Amino acid sequence: MRHRWRDPVTGLLFVLPMLVLFAVFRFVPALGAAGMSLTDYQISGEWTFTGVDNYARLFDDPIFMSSLRVTLVYVAIYVPLTVLVALGTALLLNSVIFMRGLFRGMLFLPYVTSFIFAGVIWKWVYDFDGLINGLLAHLDLGPIGFLDDTALVLPSLALVQVWKGFGYSMLILLAGLKSIPSSYLEAARVDGASAWQRFRSIVLPLLRPALFFVLVIETIGGFQTFDMIYVMTGGGPSRASYNLVYALYDQGFKFFNLGYAATIGIVLFVLVFVVSMIQRRFLDRSTT
Amino acid sequence: MTLTTSRPSAAGAKKAVPSRRRRGRKWPLTVLLGLVSVLTVSPFLVMLVVALTPPRKPTVPNQWPDTLTIDNLLGTLSASGFVGWTVNSLIYAGVSVVIILLTASMAGYAFAKKRFPGRDMMMWAFLATVMVPFQALLIPLFVLVSDLDGVDTFWGMIVPTLANSQAVFLMRQFIRDLPSELFEAAKVDGASEWRIYWQLVVPLTKPILATLGVFVFLWHWNDFLWPLVVAQSDEVRTLTVGLTTLKGEEYPLAMVMASAAVSVVPCLVVFALLQRYLVNSIAMTGLK
Repeated sequence: MRHRWRDPVTGLLFVLPMLVLFAVFRFVPALGAAGMSLTDYQISGEWTFTGVDNYARLFDDPIFMSSLRVTLVYVAIYVPLTVLVALGTALLLNSVIFMRGLFRGMLFLPYVTSFIFAGVIWKWVYDFDGLINGLLAHLDLGPIGFLDDTALVLPSLALVQVWKGFGYSMLILLAGLKSIPSSYLEAARVDGASAWQRFRSIVLPLLRPALFFVLVIETIGGFQTFDMIYVMTGGGPSRASYNLVYALYDQGFKFFNLGYAATIGIVLFVLVFVVSMIQRRFLDRSTT
Repeated sequence: MTLTTSRPSAAGAKKAVPSRRRRGRKWPLTVLLGLVSVLTVSPFLVMLVVALTPPRKPTVPNQWPDTLTIDNLLGTLSASGFVGWTVNSLIYAGVSVVIILLTASMAGYAFAKKRFPGRDMMMWAFLATVMVPFQALLIPLFVLVSDLDGVDTFWGMIVPTLANSQAVFLMRQFIRDLPSELFEAAKVDGASEWRIYWQLVVPLTKPILATLGVFVFLWHWNDFLWPLVVAQSDEVRTLTVGLTTLKGEEYPLAMVMASAAVSVVPCLVVFALLQRYLVNSIAMTGLK
């Protein structure tokens, strides 16, 4: 009897610290972001209500529109590339037995480092005096301005994010591959299905949930890229790698238009939210 | 692989030859996997060679350096700021690990084993914050922390990052699978809730606490955008932010690489000690 009365209180007490943290540092800022996007909030703390002016301004702001385009192009390059690399390495790891643990560790290694570390190293790898151009020079080729060419900069950056992050998706896909009953593949083999047919008709459909999870995670990750761009290109050349998060950072902490910066944050949230909703609809359909 | 054991014995005898041929066909895959793995870790190796080359002396990729020295690595330790940034990163990551493990396991225990009003709604609200990208909260969070005079302080940098829904969710999932009878029995024996938490919940969740601790450490050690905006002075600046300030004449490439190399050591130590653990927990929980 006594503990039934105590339970609600102790339950709440145990949740309380985390609840306070969430209320103050997640829910209040979330409401704050929505509120600030309707004002011209200044760094001094002064503000007036401006309605949807900030949202209207987005469409007339060539720098914002360009940053949105850069973000979408970047995601369109990065996501297929990283999913292909993750899937390829997962398939290799699943079929090779020799030194598998070592290879898996080597492939996963970049994941534990920071984007700043990756950016510092790869900035030199891509440099005119750097690793790749140095190697090309031995072959009398190059130099290639990986980070100085407006057409090359996004693929070059995407490759760094692939390098840094594919290990995570690889492990998710590897777990998915391991859960496919080997008897299915064996039966198909006995029936004379080729490796490609087995992959196409058995592996790929059964891997779909894992593949979709990876697709969504990587898409959201692609939208949020910042650290690496900050350290490698600063958004350049001529804003060719200047994405949404960079625009948000500049508006907030360089031009101090906090209200407008919060509005860009809302755009980012909407993009991520739409992707998450698509994921939910897809998962609902695939489970029924 | 156990593919052969599930096969009927008659077919097994006939299949012995193709099976060996199949194994023979594996070696190109093994070589390919080996190549991809070496390519993946090669930036680390090249970084190390450059970091070990005396400053401004020829090095890879143009030629193999004449002499190798650890002076650069030692030099970073005496360079202005570097040790301070490292200590700050350790504080940022270390304090966050301790508080998140404590508050998330308490909340996870309550969500998993307690009944209290609003429980499911709270859990739902916690989970919903996953969909809000941190960058979308960056501006209001900064305003909030600066209104509380938290800019350029450790607490201002640390406390907003403690609201971690992934941690709460993970702890809840793990504790929910523990038998409730354990906690009931302890309660019947007259143990206080606090004692049940310390003497049952904490010891029983040690494996998951270790995994979570590693992830929280890496998240904070590698974090960039939040420390960049909130920790502007050298007293609280973290290593990732500090690394981006290392440029110019006094910082030749060898020193930059040496700094990067030193900054990644904690990640590599964590990785070396807990690789198997990390790999399994990603596969099981999707922790990112």
